Amino acid sequence: MASIDSGIRDKGAARDKGAARAPAPAAPKAVHAIVGARTHFRRFTAFQRWVHFFIMVSFSALVLTGMPLKYSDKAWAQTWMGFIGGVDNAGMIHRFSALIMVACVIAMLGFFLKILVQTRGRFWGPGSMVPNRQDYRDLKAMVSWFIGRSPRPKLQLDRYAYYEKGEFWAASGGVTIMCVTGAILWYPEVAARYLPGIVINFALVNHSGGALLAMGFVVVFWHFFHAHLRPESFPMDKAMYAGGLPLEEYAHERPAEYERLVTQGKLDEVLVAPVSERHMKIQNVVWWIITGAALFLWAVFCIFVVWVTYNWIISF
Amino acid sequence: MSTRRAILATLAAACFLLAAAAPVSAVTFTIPTGKTDRCLECHAEPDLGTVDVNGVEKSLTIDVDEWHGSIHARMDCTACHAGFEARDHTAEETEGWYEQAKLTACSDCHASEFKMYDQSFHGDLVMGEGSEEAPACGDCHGSHGIVDPASTEFRESIPDVCGHCHGEKEETYLDTYHGKSVLLGESSRAVCIDCHGYHKILPKSDPESTVSSQNVVATCGKCHENANTRFSSFLVHVDRSTPSSSLWVWLMEINHAVLIGVLFTLGGLHCLMYFYRGLKEGLYRRG
Repeated sequence: MASIDSGIRDKGAARDKGAARAPAPAAPKAVHAIVGARTHFRRFTAFQRWVHFFIMVSFSALVLTGMPLKYSDKAWAQTWMGFIGGVDNAGMIHRFSALIMVACVIAMLGFFLKILVQTRGRFWGPGSMVPNRQDYRDLKAMVSWFIGRSPRPKLQLDRYAYYEKGEFWAASGGVTIMCVTGAILWYPEVAARYLPGIVINFALVNHSGGALLAMGFVVVFWHFFHAHLRPESFPMDKAMYAGGLPLEEYAHERPAEYERLVTQGKLDEVLVAPVSERHMKIQNVVWWIITGAALFLWAVFCIFVVWVTYNWIISF
Repeated sequence: MSTRRAILATLAAACFLLAAAAPVSAVTFTIPTGKTDRCLECHAEPDLGTVDVNGVEKSLTIDVDEWHGSIHARMDCTACHAGFEARDHTAEETEGWYEQAKLTACSDCHASEFKMYDQSFHGDLVMGEGSEEAPACGDCHGSHGIVDPASTEFRESIPDVCGHCHGEKEETYLDTYHGKSVLLGESSRAVCIDCHGYHKILPKSDPESTVSSQNVVATCGKCHENANTRFSSFLVHVDRSTPSSSLWVWLMEINHAVLIGVLFTLGGLHCLMYFYRGLKEGLYRRG
């Protein structure tokens, strides 16, 4: 069975591997960060981590510049808008961030194209983002544990768990809607050349509703929780910046993928050396700041989203 | 010969300049001053009031600070309150004065604006049909605290001024990018008057109206260079919360409400239960 994993071997990893196997004595600096035994499992490639980073930054900027417009009649929105330099400034930042986001989407589309080619069109299967029956069984086992009907399940997770697949497809659908409606709102005159005027109304409603949906889902009700507050990843899942995590830890967390790679004899391909301690320290400082901000925002937005949702639903 | 020609040319130029200046000098008027202080002797009193012919209590107090801040602050009271004398005002003097003055008090100086107003929907209601609810000059501009209509202060107040009667329209306007930008301090964005005009405001059904089907594209085109009929068919005043405004927009709004309600509830429960079980079973304690 072809899997996604054959598609994520990027050049960076190949370089890491080569250098780790045969450290070149002539270039000690390049070796510094990657010296050591390949004890770690490469959860995310450099490409994936950079895409995540840029989506994270642009998403935050989009939310911070867009939400005050959505809630323009509220005092906090007016204060915040004044702080970031008014509607025109916010609009510029918003559009610039949108371009970064679009670039990430295009990069990921390219990535999927690569997978399609490498798997000869069979993009589904274990290790892929395509939901399957096992995901449904996993979800059922978890819910059964939540409501106290059975003990904590030991999920035999493959590369992506059901909560990651769900989020991936929700985000894919969401980003598509936001890109299309955002483009219409950016160039309404151009849109009106081909489409009836009410499409601009549709774009407004969907951009605004989609924004709240995305923000709530990312910040409060899903992503932050699974990346930071889930018992297994508290206070943060380091895989998304360090790239790799200790093999035994990974085998424990994603046993199905580990087993699969061992039986296929492909484990060697995804082993990397951990980043150096000095490198890790720097990363840790940066990422603790981000995590602190994330947890703070989580608390703030929890209150905010609950309040907004409550107000909205009682308005009908 | 050349001297005479020069004199002639000078005379001609002078005539031309005078002719050109004539319309300007026609609207120049002397502002009578000096009597205001005498009026304020009584009218600055905080509790000055009267009961009018309809039995309605009316304050006669002038907010002196507001008056001094107004664009007419240098004018004498009687410039608008024509026929009033500095003594107790008799019934003959005051009766029906307001109804008359709310139109003529302004038109003496602001004749061209008044002419536009005269041709407008509001003007027709007030002067043609004798409506007491439809606005005359003071209802939009105020009376003693009139601010410069070209000022940012006045511009920012326009949605509220129109919204005083057209409340629903103000709400739907504030739900558009124009309205939101104005609320967030960018008053150069379109407010009511930029689309509907001012003084000569006409209903959409009137071909002369700025928002009539004949003119609306040009009106949008003032800011949106490439506006076309489809662009101007954008529903500016759409109330998202009711199907009677636009069925499709309402359906989309409902769709989002349901999506958000369901997904946030399910997602929230998943996270909350996960968190609760994690705490209960000590999964957050690291050995």
